Amino acid sequence: MAGIIDLILSIIFYPPIYQLVLVGLTGALVVVIFIIWFERKATARVQRRLGPYHISPRLAGLPQLVADLIRYAFQEVIIPKTVDKELFVLAPIVATVLSILPIAVVPLTSNPAYWPIPMDYSMLVALALTTVSPIFLIVAGWASNNKFSIIGGVREAFVITAYELIAIMSILSASAAVLSFNLVEIVEAQRVWYILLNPIAFLAAFLAVLMATSGFPFEIPESENEVVAGPFTEYSGLLYGLNMGAAYMKRFAFSILMALVFLGGWSPYTPGEGILSGYLIPSLIVVAKATVLMMIFSLTRSIYGRFRLDQALEGAWRLVFPMAVLGFGLALLEAYLGVM
Amino acid sequence: MSVWVYGEQKSELGLEGTITRKLEEDLYEVFIGPQHPGSGHMRIIVRIDGDIIVEADPDMGYVHRTMEKLSEGREWIKNVPLFERMAIHDACNVTVSYVMALERILGIEPPPRAKYLRTLLCEINRIAAHLYGFGIFGVFIGHSTMYMWSFADREVMVELAEKLTGARLTHSYPIPGGARRDMPQDFPQAARKAVRYFRRRLDEYRKIFLDNPVTRKRLEGVGIIPKKIAAELGVVGPVARASGIKYDARLAEPYDAYDEVEFEVPVYEEGDALARAWVKFEEIKQSLRIIEQAVDWLEKHPREAPIHERFWAKAPPLWKKVFEAEGRVKLLPLMANLKLPPGRAMARSETARGEIVYYVESDGKTTPYRVRIVSPSARNAIVFKYIAPGYKVMDLPTIYGSIDYFPPEADR
Repeated sequence: MAGIIDLILSIIFYPPIYQLVLVGLTGALVVVIFIIWFERKATARVQRRLGPYHISPRLAGLPQLVADLIRYAFQEVIIPKTVDKELFVLAPIVATVLSILPIAVVPLTSNPAYWPIPMDYSMLVALALTTVSPIFLIVAGWASNNKFSIIGGVREAFVITAYELIAIMSILSASAAVLSFNLVEIVEAQRVWYILLNPIAFLAAFLAVLMATSGFPFEIPESENEVVAGPFTEYSGLLYGLNMGAAYMKRFAFSILMALVFLGGWSPYTPGEGILSGYLIPSLIVVAKATVLMMIFSLTRSIYGRFRLDQALEGAWRLVFPMAVLGFGLALLEAYLGVM
Repeated sequence: MSVWVYGEQKSELGLEGTITRKLEEDLYEVFIGPQHPGSGHMRIIVRIDGDIIVEADPDMGYVHRTMEKLSEGREWIKNVPLFERMAIHDACNVTVSYVMALERILGIEPPPRAKYLRTLLCEINRIAAHLYGFGIFGVFIGHSTMYMWSFADREVMVELAEKLTGARLTHSYPIPGGARRDMPQDFPQAARKAVRYFRRRLDEYRKIFLDNPVTRKRLEGVGIIPKKIAAELGVVGPVARASGIKYDARLAEPYDAYDEVEFEVPVYEEGDALARAWVKFEEIKQSLRIIEQAVDWLEKHPREAPIHERFWAKAPPLWKKVFEAEGRVKLLPLMANLKLPPGRAMARSETARGEIVYYVESDGKTTPYRVRIVSPSARNAIVFKYIAPGYKVMDLPTIYGSIDYFPPEADR
């Protein structure tokens, strides 16, 4: 009996698991709820309306998102007869899980006791994990067996090809500058935040993340007026909620990665010993920085319409991709000159 | 491969957008509408080759209400509220030409004050309708701010119309021989305030929407209708004016006070979606000018009953007493059973979406013998079929929004 309890405890306190649960699931849920609320409120302010206000005006409608979450959770999940049932149900679940998986491998502290995995190649692992989830959006579109879903899925596929390389290259430029794939070393090496040393790479990464998470000038796969809800057209209830949440989860994972690479991670704090000083405070700093990034991401909604698919792809390949290459070159130059 | 070309002239012009093919095996057929968020009350059957529209087939009629037939069973005046239902946010513009046709059969001309009142409401409606169009256009290309702004600012114009007529949307304002009532005493101040507000806001619209780089990229060079094609397809209103055709019913055959007020008709040469948006934008500015002039005129001139003296002479004594004491007028009771002499007349007016034409035939009864309406949206719907092919699927909402197609008006 004691053995089983030990086993369970060892699973729960296995660092990748608790980081995934604590920061990945709980943290992401709280941050996503806050961000959606912020996005709605900021957009409402620009558009001269009130935004969510019905539930608890004192909290400016913040619990509205919790109410929406509960609604999604208990709505009937309609599975049409014509869909590929297994894939239809699995795709959004897998996509959501995979989109927060990068959090399980990034360090949120420099204290080795709280690293989820050995950190030597953590940058590569995290970037690799960010590229897994989009395929399941295409699967969701394909399994729905609906014309709008399939068009949406194909658009998603186009957009993936455009942003993936840019995102990886611009974030990886930090590795080139520090000559290490170790995220802890990258964070520790930033005496000056990397965003100041290499703003080009940051801008490219910013645009790539906007594309990856259907941020506003690039909200193409779900564009309502052409393809209804894109890959999610046939979804309802919790599965639809998961699909919608997956984009924000992904944005959160990317934001954490960008906060580490470009915004100096847990600086100015120096993690010490013990769970409070060694894990909670630095991880909160990282999450706060990621939240600020996400708030900036959400402002584009009120300013821009959406690009046409070919314009977005053209922009990505002709403008942002050269920018990412330039950023990478700048990083190599900085490494050569020993700036970092 | 069989190539089907609309008309011989089309291929001479080398316009890619007008060449369509018969449906082939590998084409993807998508039914956009009528339950689609980007379709309105219509269906567009689109056949796609990759991402290119090969054929677009507008399938109209989902909100057909047999208005022309219904009107034959109603008294003359009761058709005004009926025809308003074509475009309730443009109520005065779509009904004023019906009323003008009745006046032609009656052989009367409304007093100048009524003319100015009608012109005033027409322009208020035009702004409101253009803002409605802008809102829909904005949401079609994903610009939610434009949507919210224009719908919120439309409220200013709707409230102005309410002050003038007593109703927010379906005003039923023009009646044969004049207008239903005069403006309230504090109307000029409210109108000038609204005009000032709009001048300021329009600048912001330009910044966030028309000059927004993303919007420009979406609109420029999309849905180009060359001048010759526009003339051939018979499009009207801002769609024609954006293609370089200077045609406006207010200019072609000035009605009401339009030959006395000063205004310009903006014409653009490009013929693309951006030009159509700019035409509407500039038209709002011109409408503001007209509102100012009309309000000035109405303020300067003494109040008179805004109805033809032939009808006013038959007004009950109470009506006249109220008018002398407070300057207010109500709908005359004799309007309910108005009898028109036998005859036929045609009249046209410029609505926000283009020229609307009424043909009215009377056989001397209290109801029309026949009313025929040609509404601007019905004339512009042809753009879907002959202009949309050749553009990308994502351009369809742009084209739809830019021609400001309004199904209830087209289907009537």
